[in-house]
This record gives sequence, structure tokens and C-alpha cells, in this order.
Amino acid sequence: MRKKTTIRVILLSLVLLFFTSLSLASLVPEIELITTTEAYDPIRYEAAFMIAEEWRTLGFRVNVRPMEFSTILAKFYDEQDFDATILGWSGRVERLDPQHFLGTLHGEQTDPGANNPGGYVNPIYDALFEAQSKEFDVNRRRVLVHEMQAIAARDMPVNVLFYRDEVNAYNNTTFANYVIMAGEALYNEWTPLNVVPLTDNKVLTIGTPQEPDNINPLSSTSVWGWKFMRMTYDKLVRLSENVEPIPWAAEEIIPVDDLTVDIILRSGMTFHDGMPVTVQDVKFTFDYYIEKDFAYFRPFYRMIERTDIIGNSRVRFTLKEPYAPFVTVTLTQIPILPKHIWENIENPADLTPAQVPTVGSGPFMFDRYDRGEYKRILTFKDHFAADQINIDAVEYIIYADAEGVFTGLLTGEIDMTAWRLEPGQVPLAERESHITVVSVPDFGYYHLTMNLRREPFDNAVVRKALSHLIDKDTIINVLLQGRGEPGSSVVAPINAFWHNPDIVKYEYNPELARQLLENAGFTWDAQGRIMYPE
Amino acid sequence: MGSKGYIFGRLVQILITLWIILTMLFFFFRLGLPDPTVALVSEGLSPDDRQIIIERFGLDQPLFTQYFIYLRNVFVGEFGTSFHYKAPISGLIGEKLLNTLVLMIPAVLIAYIIGPLLGVLLTWKRGTKLEMGGITVGLFFRSAPMFWTGMLFVMFFGIYLNWFPTSGMRTLPYEAANFFQKIFTLDFLHHLIMPMMVIVLYYTALPMLIMRNTMLETMGEDFIEFCRARGVSMRKVMYKHAARNALLPVVTQAAVTAGLAVGGQVVVEVVFSWPGLGMEMLNAVRTSDYPLAQATFLLLASMVLAMNLFADILYSKLDPRVVYKRNV
Repeated sequence: MRKKTTIRVILLSLVLLFFTSLSLASLVPEIELITTTEAYDPIRYEAAFMIAEEWRTLGFRVNVRPMEFSTILAKFYDEQDFDATILGWSGRVERLDPQHFLGTLHGEQTDPGANNPGGYVNPIYDALFEAQSKEFDVNRRRVLVHEMQAIAARDMPVNVLFYRDEVNAYNNTTFANYVIMAGEALYNEWTPLNVVPLTDNKVLTIGTPQEPDNINPLSSTSVWGWKFMRMTYDKLVRLSENVEPIPWAAEEIIPVDDLTVDIILRSGMTFHDGMPVTVQDVKFTFDYYIEKDFAYFRPFYRMIERTDIIGNSRVRFTLKEPYAPFVTVTLTQIPILPKHIWENIENPADLTPAQVPTVGSGPFMFDRYDRGEYKRILTFKDHFAADQINIDAVEYIIYADAEGVFTGLLTGEIDMTAWRLEPGQVPLAERESHITVVSVPDFGYYHLTMNLRREPFDNAVVRKALSHLIDKDTIINVLLQGRGEPGSSVVAPINAFWHNPDIVKYEYNPELARQLLENAGFTWDAQGRIMYPE
Repeated sequence: MGSKGYIFGRLVQILITLWIILTMLFFFFRLGLPDPTVALVSEGLSPDDRQIIIERFGLDQPLFTQYFIYLRNVFVGEFGTSFHYKAPISGLIGEKLLNTLVLMIPAVLIAYIIGPLLGVLLTWKRGTKLEMGGITVGLFFRSAPMFWTGMLFVMFFGIYLNWFPTSGMRTLPYEAANFFQKIFTLDFLHHLIMPMMVIVLYYTALPMLIMRNTMLETMGEDFIEFCRARGVSMRKVMYKHAARNALLPVVTQAAVTAGLAVGGQVVVEVVFSWPGLGMEMLNAVRTSDYPLAQATFLLLASMVLAMNLFADILYSKLDPRVVYKRNV
């Protein structure tokens, strides 16, 4: 017996010794950097090669792997099978609230399929995340949000590469007073409300390269659908051009406690068919969305426990859990539907285009939609905001591609573009005296996410050193023709209220990167490959 | 074997061909296009929500189950629901098809009227500068990519001279109670001219050159000699006797072209933002909208097959020497 035990101990020690000797001054493992194919997105493809090139200068072995987009999604989110991946988050308007982007670093969202595939967990960050998501006071919440960004920047689990610029253009001889909004550039909900005609023409014409998938508020899953419908439907709250929530169809928002929010409905509103907008409609809308379980809106309503009517003008929302973005996200996204029209519709997602009701209560009313060609909405004279509207209608001309939109701008067929100009069109547009080009950074971002469960990214020094080896300015100047901003925080600088400008930034500095690694004891072997500290 | 038996045989052939096409379309789109849920949802939709969409479109079913459902649906004339528009496909492509036809039919007609006539002229003026010039210009427009010619037209006639509108079928907005009201207007004609011209320029060269080549052969035959000897005028010999006999290959080509024209010239539709079937096809591929892509491509394939059959039948009218019989 004893003999056997001795043998076991000896064997075990040998094995241990073997592994320790291996780990002594072992090579830093090769890094696989996943990116999109060149066809899908040449920018991310090229950026990956540029980054890999820089990383190799310090002896890291990097293998760039371009992959089909759906494969990347599966590997990144569902399987979490990656070392480092370059992906992006689009700037959907509800993400102007910091909740979503801060959540991508939340320790409870590291499960397969969730939003934090890199596996970053920091208890202090998580505690702050919980605290801010319950804080209804925006100024107090802002302090917490700033602190979280500072922590994330120090730990560097995700490198925000850049925010692209949205470049739009408008005809400066037909209308003035365009509104330029964070992430949305010209085509935002305030432009039609604010533009002032410079000629007798009081119809604002927008050129778009795509059209809505449909205009059914219980079926559309595209920005083109919603950017159109938000003009014909009212929301309880709208986000101002500075991204501050302002009461809209709600006259007042009253946070009662952590789990209860009351709204007072503005009086005297009517739908486009003349029926009054009542608290019944508001309650019906939320109940209806929840009952029909419209997946695209689920993030907006899933925290709602119940909706009750209190008196003639008050609606009470009871939440399942405290949720600070309730006002900035939920109430700004869900359109008020007319109960008298929708209550009889059993399967709203199955409506054919001809059957879809278009009656809302918004500042513009639906007039026509000729698929593939044209859309028009007319100013709703009975709307409470109608007095400030200086135009009679907004029309949309649908082109086949960005080239068609641009030609429309040149010939004066349209007054403004709804989508970004192609890089090659920008200098051409700038040359024309009747065209004004506007450039606004997006609040969505492209990121390089490192898998903190794996070597070498479990090591914070490596992450920081590699971050100093990403030349963001060159990426932007070369790949984006200068149309972008270098990345820092998951909350973009354009989102000025929530962005923390004072966080650690990792400027491009190969010397500093080497210094960091040397100070941490990293060495290089005879072939120049980087090795772990002994 | 009478012509009825022949046509029946051809119909069976066509059905088999259609089935092969259906099968190829089904599998090729699923192999070649990216996952439609990627196209459906904007980047970054949560995996839960993606799963819901996958189930809703039946994409969680085994591929062969999907295939048989698809075959059964096509058999009963049901093309399903578009992933992207979430609407029945039959309602989506009807008007688009008409839009394409009103662009393509005049263009193909003009090309196949002018083309052969020019071909005869070139044969007649053989060896002159006119022949050289005609062939060069014809080949030039045949070789120039249509999007390029189209963009030059837009730049020159649209933006610079401002003679023609650069996009769409009508000046927007327009009121039209039905399709005929939509197209029987001067405004429509004004919009039609540029895209139509681009297509005509591209299509004319082929019948012109085919005509010229066959004419040169025909001209060497005895009956032409005989006509000349009888004192028939050169014009009459050319256009009545030689041309009629040289027309056969042009007819085949015309039928194939007409069939393909249903798919529209996708690039022309895109350059001129013409709301036709070609643009719909492109959008369907862009958004990985399998059902819509399948339906549009199937429509295109059926038209080519139908036109080929039509050409075969037309042959006998033009050339009594053609006799219908099955392969021996």
C-alpha cells in the first residue's frame, strides 16, 4: 500500500514538474483574429490585417481569419469560440440610452448567446451597473455611468476601434433649418418639424436608397419602417435633438417609486381619423404589444408588469424590476396605437400590405405608399405641434441605390438624403454650391473584443499593450477617408450627456507597449517571439 | 407524328426542366446566400430574437422538409411569404413584372426591328465605310457594360443637358387608377426613353450581326442569282427574298432575348431606379429573401422556356421545311 502511494506521489510530482517546466518562460500562444470577409465589409477586413501587422512587431503570432458574417455571429455569441473578434454594434436609436452598451460588459451577460461574449467580469462594474439601471434621476445616474466607463477603460476588455461618420447632404437653396442629430444625421424626427422653406415649395423631399420592409407597427423590423412610422405615430416621450427625453404625448412623467411610473396624457389630442386619443388607447397599446409578443420590441416592454388607468388622464406602469431606461427607451419607442382600430385585429403580423392600418396621432399623417417608388405624409393640422411646422408634407423618393439618390440631389429632385453618401460622392457634393454636406459621428461602434477566458487575453498587461499597438488614426484616415472618430468608450462621445471624456485613452505608441510588456517581465526568444514571464 | 404530339412532348420536357430549375434554385440559394436572419435583423439583435425569427420562417425545419413544403406550394401556385416584406409574394411581383415588361417589350421590339433591317443594309453596302462604321458602333454598344452606358446617359442627357428625368417611371407623385392609366402618358414616355435607349443600343447589335452573317450566306445561293436574272430590283431581292430566308436564326435569338427580358436588365433598372422585377430580384438576393428570390428566378426561367417553345412553333410558319417530329 505504502509503496503504491509513494509511486503515486512520485508520478504526480513528475507530472507537476513537467507542467511547471513547460510554463516556465513559455511562448505566448498564437492569436486568431476573426474578422469579416472582404466582400462583406472591406473596412473591418483591412483593419484586421493592419492591427495584426502591428501586433506582430512585438513578437505576437497573429493569424487573421476572415469569416462569413453568420459564422462570426455564431462563433462569437453562441459558441464564444474565439481569441479576438472584430465586430460592430449598430447605433439603433434606443441605444442612445447607455443601458445597452454598458450591458455588453456586464458580468451577468457572459452566458453563451448573451451580449458579453468576451467574458469580462468586474464586481465593482457590475454593482454600478445594477445601481444605474435603477436610478431614475438622470444626473445621479450619469455619475454612475461615467464611473463605469472609467473602470472599463482601465481594464480594457474591449477595444472600441472607431465610430463611423454619417455623411449626409442637403440642398441649401430649398429649405433651411435642418436639424442634425447624434447618430441619425439629417434623417431624424426633428428635421420635418423644424425645416423652413426658402421657396414657395412647402413639400420636403427626401431621397432614400431603400424602403421599409413594411409599415405595420406590429411587423416592421427595419430602421426604414420605423423612421417612417415615427412621424405618423406619437410616442409618450421623444428624445430631443440633444438626446434628452422630453415629454411628448405625455404631459408629465411622474416616477412614483422604483417600480412605478405614472404618465399624465396630454389633453385634446386626436387620431388622424378624428377620434380622441385617450388613456384607453395608451393602456391598450402596451397590453397589445405584450399580448402579441412582437419580438423586435421585446427589449422595450419586457420589464412591464402591468399597465393601469388611474382617472381620466393618468396611466400607471408597474415594472417587474427597477429599470431606469424605462422613460428614455420604452416610452420613446412604443407608438400609441388607436384602440378602436387594432382591438379587432387578431393576428396583426399576418396583415397584407393593403390591410395594414395607418391611422396614428403623429404630427404627420399617412397619405400614400407606392412600393419601390414613393411615400408621402401630410402635416396633421390638428396636432399639438402643428403650429411650429412650416411645411405641408414630406415625400420620399425611393431609389435603387445610393447613386440614384446622389443624382437626385444633383438635379434638385430631392432636398435631402436619408442615408450616408458613398465615400466617392463626398468630394463631388462638396464641389456643388447648392449642396451642403454634413458629417455626424455614429454612436454605434466597431470593436475588437478579446476573449478574457483565454490566453493571452486573460492578462490585462497584454490587453493594454496590444491596445497601444492599434493605430486608429491611420485606420480612419486610410480606410474611412478620414470619416470617423477614434474609439474610446462604449458610450460614444457624440452621446455627450452620457459619455465620459476623461477616461484612459490608449494612444498608438509601440514603444510604450514594449515598455509595458518588459516591465511585466515578458521576454522574447531568439526568433523574436514573445514569451511569458518566468 | 403530328404537331400536337410534338407539342405534348415538349410540354413534358418543359415540366421536367422546371422541376430541375426549382430544385437548383432551392438549394443554390440556401448554399450561396448568407443566413437570412442576418439580413433580416440589424447587426446586434439578440440571439433569442434571432431564434424566434428562424422559427417563424420555418428555417428550423430540416432542409428536406423545407424542400418538400416548397415543392408542394409551388405546385398549387403558392409562392409563400416574403421574409423581408412579410407579405404574400404573388401580390409583390405582379406589378413589378408589368413595370419591367413595359420597359423591355418596346426595347426588344425596337432592337429586333431595327437590328435585322440594319443587318440587311450592312450586307447590301458590303465593303463600304458604312458597313465598317455600323459593325464598329454595334460592337461598341454590345461590349460596353450597360450600367456604364446608362451612367453616361444619366450624366450627359440627365444632369448636364437636363433633357430627360434620371430615375423612376413617372414624375412623382402621380395618380393612376390602373396600370394603363399609368403608362399612357407623355410623362411616362419621357421617363422611358433613356433606359429604353440604353437597352436598344445594347440589343441591336446581335440581330444586326446575325442577320448580316446569314444574309451573306443566303446571297450566295442560286435562287438569289435567279431573282437577279429575272430582273427583280436589288432592294426587293434583299428585303423580300434574302432577308426572309436569313430570318430564322434571328427569330431564335429574339425568343431567347424576349424570355430573358422578363428578368429585366437588372443593371438598367438599378441605374435608372426603375421599379421592376430586376430590382426586386436584386433586393431579394441582397436580403437573402429566399421565397422572393426563388419566385422571381422561377418566373424568369419559365419565360425563357415558354419563349423557346414559341420560337420552335414560329419556325414552321417562317420556314415550311421545318417539320415537327420527335427525336428518332
